[in-house]
Amino acid sequence: MTDIEQLAESVESLKDGFEAHRYICSNQIATAVYLAYHLRKPVLIEGPPGVGKTELAKTSADMFGLPLIRLQCYEGLDEAKAIYEWKYGKQLLYTQVLKETLDEVLQGAQGFAESVSRLHEFGDIFFSEEFLEPRPLLKALREEHGCVLLIDEVDKSDHEFESLLLEILSDFQVSIPEIGTVKAHREPPIVFLTSNNTREISDALKRRCLHLYIPFPDADLEQRIIHARVPDIPPELRRQLVTFIQDLRDLDLKKVPAISETIDWARTLLLLHTESLDAELVRDTLNVILKFQEDIVNVDAEITTLTSKALSAGAR
Amino acid sequence: MDRTLTHFIAALRNADVRISPAETLDAMNALELVGYRDRAFLKNSLSLVLPKTADEKETFDTAFDQFFSFEDISTQTATSETEQAGEGEQGEGDGQGQGEGSGGGKGSGGAKKGKFAGHDEEEDDLGPGEMSEPRSELGRLLMLESTVELTMRMAEAAKEARLEEIQVFTQKGLYTRKIMDAMGLADLSREISELRQSFRVPDRRLGQELKKRQNWLREQARDYVERQFLLHADATGRRLREDLLQKVKLSNVEHRNFRLIQEIVFRMAKKLAALHSRRRKVFKRGQLHVPRTLRHNMSYDGAIFDLRWKSVKVDRPKVFAICDVSGSVASYARFMLMFLYSLDEVMPKVRSFAFSSDLAEVTELFERNKIEDAIAKTLRDYSGGSTDYGQAFADFRKLCMDDVDNRTTIVILGDARNNYGDPRTDILKDMYDRAKRVIWLNPESRSTWNTGDAEMRKYTAYVHQAEECNSLMHLNRVVGNLLRAAA
Repeated sequence: MTDIEQLAESVESLKDGFEAHRYICSNQIATAVYLAYHLRKPVLIEGPPGVGKTELAKTSADMFGLPLIRLQCYEGLDEAKAIYEWKYGKQLLYTQVLKETLDEVLQGAQGFAESVSRLHEFGDIFFSEEFLEPRPLLKALREEHGCVLLIDEVDKSDHEFESLLLEILSDFQVSIPEIGTVKAHREPPIVFLTSNNTREISDALKRRCLHLYIPFPDADLEQRIIHARVPDIPPELRRQLVTFIQDLRDLDLKKVPAISETIDWARTLLLLHTESLDAELVRDTLNVILKFQEDIVNVDAEITTLTSKALSAGAR
Repeated sequence: MDRTLTHFIAALRNADVRISPAETLDAMNALELVGYRDRAFLKNSLSLVLPKTADEKETFDTAFDQFFSFEDISTQTATSETEQAGEGEQGEGDGQGQGEGSGGGKGSGGAKKGKFAGHDEEEDDLGPGEMSEPRSELGRLLMLESTVELTMRMAEAAKEARLEEIQVFTQKGLYTRKIMDAMGLADLSREISELRQSFRVPDRRLGQELKKRQNWLREQARDYVERQFLLHADATGRRLREDLLQKVKLSNVEHRNFRLIQEIVFRMAKKLAALHSRRRKVFKRGQLHVPRTLRHNMSYDGAIFDLRWKSVKVDRPKVFAICDVSGSVASYARFMLMFLYSLDEVMPKVRSFAFSSDLAEVTELFERNKIEDAIAKTLRDYSGGSTDYGQAFADFRKLCMDDVDNRTTIVILGDARNNYGDPRTDILKDMYDRAKRVIWLNPESRSTWNTGDAEMRKYTAYVHQAEECNSLMHLNRVVGNLLRAAA
């Protein structure tokens, strides 16, 4: 039994594995990775920004000891950048070379038909593996011992690109017209797709994936996450700041602080040698957790109540 | 077992979760891997495979809990320990009811009678200790305390009894009986009565335990039928209501149906978005595509003379919505705004204006708030005052006539009842000349368009299209046209 198989044996072992890599996850998340591994299905991860969608893929790669191949999506991404591309410069160069040596090649050829058939041999060479430039998706398929493929922010790409993904996601293969079908090696990649929900992903794509929704964590989970990520922070302060953030999420904000913001804030407070929250300090460091001036202004009035609430919760 | 899953999926579909056959197969694979033993694990796994949006996940959660809800057998039996005598009594009576039920086919009557016809036989207190193994299949399942497996069995039995055909609530008793029979009640009852007459203490102990669990199972079956009745009967009723709501006049929609209508609007909008987002792009000349040009010209000895171009996106439709929000039209404005803003995926450039007497832009309100809140705020702030189309047009000209260009579509929603004021058709004409299209939607039926103080005749001269629009069906068609023309 290999390391990977051992890790993926049960949801609990996966959870422990993640924890060892400082990624604290819920049962739901661990189950998703478990099913992804055993059913060989890609996972589409959705959720608000900053809840650890990309991090999940990265940590999985770390934990399984597999290389991570990442494809960042953006508007205008096409197959030439995602799957493969011909090395056209090299092809052009070779055409020139061929032209110069044409006489030698054709030497002794009897008649036109034979010349053409000799030339045909070269034609195929130009579209062979030799001239193929693999891009992330093709690279992932060719990885011998498997890999973790992260297709990040798939909602940013165009509809056409989504359709391109379908083949690789359902069959782990890519069809290149000139060469044929490239299939994954014995170990197909573990695929994660992330989406920020800026637009609806097509049903065809969703159908091929497991769908994991990561919401904001509850207070308990968030505390454990902070503990794992910023271990030096005193427990009382940790409780206070988590309570504060959790309450903040209930307010009507333009951008709600996510886990990454909580972690940043914890680091900031640690750097400032804070022992316990107070309204003044919160006001000064608010720009770490809130990214819009409007939000900061709106929250300002609430700071005192929120802080005292957090303090009383922390004392418990 | 698989049939139970498909049954569950049917219930999910009933609750508007879209599940394809491919996903059903995935669910079965997942099921094979996960098994039925751990309920939370099963729920987690299925929720990864079946629902594919956050909303659907919520629906899934409740549906799963309803469908697979089984009270924990061990806690149930523990509490019933104290009422052992009573339990025994009822059990005895039920045994009798069983015979009658299968003979006469009146299950519910049998069960009811059982309660009264029970003998006064006291259970011996046998105490805890060794128990023998049950022989009948159902007995084994009961003793295993595997609630999920029992649920699956029950669902299967329900399938055999054609529970999904249940129509009226008076059939509940009948179906309960049928399900118990299909689950192998006859075998279990026989086993119990045999065990109870046995001389060995472990056998009798098992008999008692089985009887207790049998009663518990009957309760569960009754609950199950109840839930399924709600699940199936409710859905058909809802579908009927939805069909009706699509056709009903929007001003007549009762307040309690607003939520449902909103859901319909979102669904319709989603359908439209899916239909039109695909043909948003048209191929047109634009930037030079260097790799493709080079590759293509390789056959010409690398001399570049046949150029290849990158595709260029055509602008998405720009829509200006001008809504009359005075009392008579407000309810229509509500739904139209809802519709337009549900389509932001394919129509990101909607600007909206509201007026009754003075006109103001409310775009920002919609950007910053949830749709429902924005609509409520709009109606609150702008719906007072008497309708003045002339003033509204003048305000519009001042506000943003310069932004109207030949890609803009202006949609005006209003009844054109101007209180005998100046209609200011000159401004409308100006809009007509500048914009790509001007569409007037009138919630009144065509025959009343020109009665009283309505200025519809004058306005129709300066719009590309005037439509009657007072139900969701109409709205859907109009917005669909909007998108088609833009593509």
